[in-house]
Amino acid sequence: MRKILIVGAGQSGLQLALGLQAEGYEVTLMANRTADEIRSGRVMSTQCMFHTALQHERDLKLNFWEERAPRIEGLGASVAGPPTPEGPHTRAIDWVGRLDGYAQSVDQRIKMAGWMELFEQRGGQLVIHGVSVSDLDFFTQSHDLVLVAAGKGELVSLFGRDAARSPYDTPQRALAVSYVHGLGPRPEHPDYDAVRCNLVPGVGELFVMPTLTTSGRADILFWEGVPGGPVDAFQGVTDPSEHLATTLELMERFTPWEYARATKVELTDAGGTLAGRYAPTVRNPIGELPGGGLVLGVADVVVANDPITGQGSNSAAKCAASYLDSIVAHGDRPFDAAWMRDTFDRYWATAQHVTKWTNAMLAPPPEHIVELLGAAGALPPVADRIANGFNDPSDFEHFFYEPEKAAAYLASVGA
Amino acid sequence: MDFADSETMTVTPPHVSEIPGAGIPGTEEKLQNWQIDRSRAPIATKIVIAGGFGVGKTTFVGSVSEITPLQTEALMTQASEDVDDLGATPEKLTTTVAMDFGRITLESDLVLYLFGTPGQQRFWFMWDDLMRGAIGAVVMADTRRLEDSFPALDYFESLGLPYVVAVNHFEGTPLYGPDDVRDALSVSPGIPVVTMDARQRVTVVDALLALVGHAVDVSPE
Amino acid sequence: MTGGSGRGARRPARVRPYSLTGGRTRSGHVLLVETFVASLEPADGPVDGPGDPVPTGTPGTRMLPEIRAIIELCRRMRSVAEVSAMLKIPLGVVRVLLSDLADQGKIRVYGTGRGPGQPDRALLERVLVGLRRL
Repeated sequence: MRKILIVGAGQSGLQLALGLQAEGYEVTLMANRTADEIRSGRVMSTQCMFHTALQHERDLKLNFWEERAPRIEGLGASVAGPPTPEGPHTRAIDWVGRLDGYAQSVDQRIKMAGWMELFEQRGGQLVIHGVSVSDLDFFTQSHDLVLVAAGKGELVSLFGRDAARSPYDTPQRALAVSYVHGLGPRPEHPDYDAVRCNLVPGVGELFVMPTLTTSGRADILFWEGVPGGPVDAFQGVTDPSEHLATTLELMERFTPWEYARATKVELTDAGGTLAGRYAPTVRNPIGELPGGGLVLGVADVVVANDPITGQGSNSAAKCAASYLDSIVAHGDRPFDAAWMRDTFDRYWATAQHVTKWTNAMLAPPPEHIVELLGAAGALPPVADRIANGFNDPSDFEHFFYEPEKAAAYLASVGA
Repeated sequence: MDFADSETMTVTPPHVSEIPGAGIPGTEEKLQNWQIDRSRAPIATKIVIAGGFGVGKTTFVGSVSEITPLQTEALMTQASEDVDDLGATPEKLTTTVAMDFGRITLESDLVLYLFGTPGQQRFWFMWDDLMRGAIGAVVMADTRRLEDSFPALDYFESLGLPYVVAVNHFEGTPLYGPDDVRDALSVSPGIPVVTMDARQRVTVVDALLALVGHAVDVSPE
Repeated sequence: MTGGSGRGARRPARVRPYSLTGGRTRSGHVLLVETFVASLEPADGPVDGPGDPVPTGTPGTRMLPEIRAIIELCRRMRSVAEVSAMLKIPLGVVRVLLSDLADQGKIRVYGTGRGPGQPDRALLERVLVGLRRL
């Protein structure tokens, strides 16, 4: 039985651990927190997963919360117009597209804690420990393969930054998340749930999405603020209610149409807020240890995109599925540097589209993208296509980045 | 690299064989009864001693421990992004971090461990591990470098864990009162601040008593 | 299993046999630094190392000298941190090896003798009394 050690118990680490376990591998999973600590701790993400990523979980029969989590059937975009002297921002662009397959967000505190317990129940070895380089040095000798899937930990610096694939070297947004109860529906279509992307040019973005959390159905208010701008206001805010109050003040000021349905919200729990920032970075997938052993980076350890496109958990699920296939397909052959490189390249074939699209969205949009977003308001097929790009970002290659392709696409749908 | 070397200076190397698997004769100082009786284990408790490098954590632990303080070492990556280029060798990317610990058998069935751990923010993930189930922490402060204590204070404050501030008085430095230090560190009124000398066992015990007493005070009835 | 057929040829979930864990579940083995462990072999008997009938060769099954050293050291009651420090084995490695040994029935994990989370008031008072006697 081949022995595989995984550091990190997030979406990618646990999905891989459970997938490998089901394939008969002997898996050791190292996590820095227990299931109970995760469950009672702070929220970790917004984790809105689209159809392809959800299907990876279904393939492994890990979709335990599918019936309880709200089904997100649409994805909308609203762009704030310039502020007027007499009143607040109004919407210059406003539409919602229908998703071909629904999306869902399950609070990772529920999912990761549950998956961890399942992994143990199925006989997996779960060791609670904050892993150091010396630990890894040993494990590369005692195990057939060591995977590092702890994207927030200090082990990430084992993997060198790939400058050619990392156009930014500083954080491009300041992030602030609040989980709330009591949010009303968007009055335009109260009949179904949708992710709402509210773009405020030059200031940042507000994302609103339904989720399942520890206390049931809730909504996530997620500000992405341009660093140094008015939405970059959460640094040093440690009090959760102050965090929420700031979130709402910014909504009232920049996205009053969203604030209108948020006047009665309250935090789901004391751990329902999160703030931070990081530089989007692509890294060398192979980490070399002082003793010469090699470890392979997983998901956001090697490809960390800004959350502006909501792809973090989707990418983690896709990376775990891709790595699982690569590991199983490799049979009993050694997991050497060449295999590691191939395994990453296979994942990068899809991940590169996510990185390209996400980095594009961080920059001020060129004219043709503004036109495309505007056209989606009048042409439902355009809105639908953009919405479904969140599920498969490789499609943006065909109509989004280049003015000629965008124009050709708009012409083809009768614009 | 620097602080790791400094941290080890005052430590007697554990007199054990370098080779795992070799026998380890003569490692025990005074054998405690509970060490031999494998039918039952004592209750284990622990206190974390945190603070900047050179503040006297190792001395603190050594002053009160019934065994020569032991040490675990771990290689850590260098967190700074400036060494973050593809050409850097793994050697350049790592540094050693040491954790000292000692032991006090309080009763035949009650043992207290003391863990001394470096104060920088990037080691917080080690503190998460150490603080799991701990009584609380003694945050050591050196009046010449009070700012070194800030990360530890922030950490314990934000987690709401019981802690006290122990000002280690070094000879030849001005003796500040606990209130001066409290003001300088912005320590809230409910947190005990004690002055001590890490080399003097009685003052070390007093610092531990201050912490445990404080932990009792804030513990639910 | 070769090529892209991995998905289709997936084996059924293979769950660790109950007998291997000696009837214990793995959960509950949160090995804190102060958790007590000791070998289950007699105090002065031979160390029945996990060298027993183990094929050599692959990294997965190779007998590790560290394992024999841990069993030897734990003839006396030890804390997890002591095992790491005395054998100079990184703490995370000690945790993984002890977890293995506990599952194999070679090491007994005694725990800490108290509940999870912060110590309760009664225990804190006992510690206070003990410290005052020093």
